[in-house]
Amino acid sequence: MTLAGRILLGLVLLFLYAPIAVMVLMAFNASELYSLPMVPTLHWFEALAGNDKLLAASRNSVAIALATAVLATTLGTMAALALSRQAFWGRSLLQLLLLPPIAIPWLITGTAMLVFFFWTGIGRGLHAMILGHVALAIPYVVLVVGTGLRSLRADLEEAAVSLGSTPIHAFFAITLPLLAPSLIAAALFAFAVSLDQFVVSYFLATPGMSTLPVEIYSSIRKGFTPEINAISTLLLAASVGLFVVSAILTRMGGEPERR
Amino acid sequence: MARVDRRQFTRLGAAALAAGVTGSWTPSARAAAKTITVLNWQGYGTDEAFGLKAFTEATGTAVKHDYYNSEPEMLTKLRTNPGVYDVVLVNSARDSQAQAENLIDPVDLAGVPNAAGLAPSFKTHPNITIDGKTYGVPWVWGMNALAVRRGKVSGVDSYAALADPAYKGRVALFDDAVTEIAVAALLTGQSINDPSDMKAIGDKLKSFKDDVKLTWSSEDEWNKAFAGGAFDVSVFWSGAVARAIHLHDQPVEFVIPKEGAIGWLDNLCIPASSTNKEAGLAFINTMIDPKFYVQWATGSGAPASANNAAMDMLPADDLNRRIHKPEYLSKLQFMGALPDERRQAFNDLWEEVKAFYAH
Amino acid sequence: MTAAPMSRPDRRRALGTAALLLPAYGWLLVTVFLPLGAMVVFSFLKTTPIGGSKPLVFTTHNYLAFIERPYLVDVAWTSLRLGFWTTLLCALIGLPAALALARATRGRFRQVLFLLTVLPFWTNGLVRTFSWTMLLREGGILDDALHLVWPSAGSIGLLYTFPAIVIGLVHAYLPYMILTCYLAVSSIEDGLIDAARSLGARGPAVFLTVILPLALPGLVSGAILIFVPVIGSFMEPRILGGRIGVTMGTVIEDQFTQAYNWPLGAALSFTMLGVVLVIFALFSSVLRGRLMPAAA
Repeated sequence: MTLAGRILLGLVLLFLYAPIAVMVLMAFNASELYSLPMVPTLHWFEALAGNDKLLAASRNSVAIALATAVLATTLGTMAALALSRQAFWGRSLLQLLLLPPIAIPWLITGTAMLVFFFWTGIGRGLHAMILGHVALAIPYVVLVVGTGLRSLRADLEEAAVSLGSTPIHAFFAITLPLLAPSLIAAALFAFAVSLDQFVVSYFLATPGMSTLPVEIYSSIRKGFTPEINAISTLLLAASVGLFVVSAILTRMGGEPERR
Repeated sequence: MARVDRRQFTRLGAAALAAGVTGSWTPSARAAAKTITVLNWQGYGTDEAFGLKAFTEATGTAVKHDYYNSEPEMLTKLRTNPGVYDVVLVNSARDSQAQAENLIDPVDLAGVPNAAGLAPSFKTHPNITIDGKTYGVPWVWGMNALAVRRGKVSGVDSYAALADPAYKGRVALFDDAVTEIAVAALLTGQSINDPSDMKAIGDKLKSFKDDVKLTWSSEDEWNKAFAGGAFDVSVFWSGAVARAIHLHDQPVEFVIPKEGAIGWLDNLCIPASSTNKEAGLAFINTMIDPKFYVQWATGSGAPASANNAAMDMLPADDLNRRIHKPEYLSKLQFMGALPDERRQAFNDLWEEVKAFYAH
Repeated sequence: MTAAPMSRPDRRRALGTAALLLPAYGWLLVTVFLPLGAMVVFSFLKTTPIGGSKPLVFTTHNYLAFIERPYLVDVAWTSLRLGFWTTLLCALIGLPAALALARATRGRFRQVLFLLTVLPFWTNGLVRTFSWTMLLREGGILDDALHLVWPSAGSIGLLYTFPAIVIGLVHAYLPYMILTCYLAVSSIEDGLIDAARSLGARGPAVFLTVILPLALPGLVSGAILIFVPVIGSFMEPRILGGRIGVTMGTVIEDQFTQAYNWPLGAALSFTMLGVVLVIFALFSSVLRGRLMPAAA
């Protein structure tokens, strides 16, 4: 089981990373049209260093994605707790209402937001983009956290309450730590949903302020240069670095490893 | 009450929009005297760094850009952002639509010094002349026709090649209803702007099925697929062919078939809601300056300039000059204004044809 | 809920539930439900209500599109097939991968693998899809790799085929399935499986009677997160499918970006949403072994 399982995981990772590897390789390839054979160059990274617009857009993207991850995970987890722990009238309806933001193509949701935000005076800009991104991420969070909650034993919390703990205390002392993997997974998803979201950003960004996907999408008419690959590679490297650092930090925090 | 006066509805909406916009735009409105905003396709001349630098140094006006990815989106942005834009690039076939909605202002070419060199046929082009007024400054023009792989395809002289069994699975079409319907209209001997027999056009387009490998929707997609060897014959833009050769060294050749090419004219317009019309016009004047054009065309690659003086300044062997011959101007059928119903019919037919290709 | 007055703890509990739900649903109301409500109104209009100066004309025409444009039935069928194959493959790969992650790895190694499955998500979808074209095209990287091992092999040349779209979509959505399944199966205790084994259950039986029921919530959540957006996807079909990449997603996209027919585009997507809801209603009733469709 263990060996077969690890081989399977290896193959899955190979599949997941094949196009990522191509993306990274093309950042170091001279051809603007992704032509092979490869001619190694650092040209695209140099060009990127002077491309203030793309760098600013990338910074915006990361900032919005962070805000989205925090807000959507908080709101979505609260809703998931209510939906999976309490039986109440209208619960099925509320669960069904999570589907439209996923099922309706983002192009339509984005257009609808553009029109509605103007009618109501919410307007375009950073605040509008965060409003939109969080809304699209909430259903993902509710579903992911809900899955985690269903596999979690509610009796532990009830036991704590029956032993005299307040429900709120029991939640923070027992449920939250057990739920941590789901929360992390949900936050990672919310971050991803926001980081790759171009339609809503595209409609809600103001001129002169944009995000990385908006820059990429707008430049496809003429052609995006491998500078895009270069910035994607850097973002990927930064994420890996962040993971490594956080792994080291949790080890220093002395969290016991389960073996 | 099944009918609501749509003008009222729109006006209400526009008022709300304006309120929303001014609310969130106060900071930039204050700085407006020194900044103009241009709405265009990305990487289409107006955002060339050298041009922006020269313009800002000469006039002290800074230039911001916003982009669109389709013509309807350009119109939507103009409608939903009154006061935000000061210059907009409009395909002249859309001028009458924008004018009818009061989105663009007439311009006085006499107030644009560099307009003196514009080709006479463009100055009075029916697309931009409405009720005797001129609604935009002709900027660049080009043709949609065939682009074929040099060394592999030769002797093509008709759009019939798109259905030729010799090119089975080797054809790429432009995913654009107006262009593809125009191709079939040319093949069936009809007007590209007002074809009488839509059935014949549908059948003609469907006859390309076995040859069609893909439909491209951006120059980038065309370039990457062509460089990857995905197709040999395609419907493509003249200016983009020049760029593919000049910038990417691709073995491609532009062919104007015996049926003719589909011409288009892009003009720079002043949005009616602009608060910086003079600065906008000054920017347009810079954009049709021959010196700007030559540097743009020889640097990044551009379509043909509507300014004869600019074309004359290009080196004699310049690719753009060889592709865009002045004598075409009188022979080409240009994309013209389309009434809403006809545009809708074009889109519906093209959607049906694409679904036919897929199955 | 009964008509009897609520007891105090009940009322407190109801208030608590409402307080937990209000922020998320309030947020969704303003940013999604009300705007989409406006779109529902638009879908009954004859022409896009932004710009132009014609009077508004209401019509149910757009909802008859499938009858008046029979080719849309083929297009919808393509979308459903894409949704089916993508979801099935994601489940077939994702559940075993999640089991392996939960049972064949430990501690920090597992954490690292867990993060590695999410990381590809953090790159741009368009760039990822273009990377797939390089791998899949005739004479592409996959062909090169094959020829290294087996020089006389022909070309795989998958680009611009149905499988190419499915590969791109599976790649884009597999992490959802792995993670939702992982969250579901990570709580299965070794003891449970050992107990089943000691009672004489063999591998397949253990899987069917112990693992699958516990993994079901994960599979269902994953299926929702995959099937639903795949039906409306347009980027992967367009870039990887070439001529055959015409889906509900691309038709709807065309209505919004090229044809400027928002009412038709909106009506098509609400029809699609309706189909998705019906499929899930049937699916959930089958899961619960009922005949009458439940409200999911």
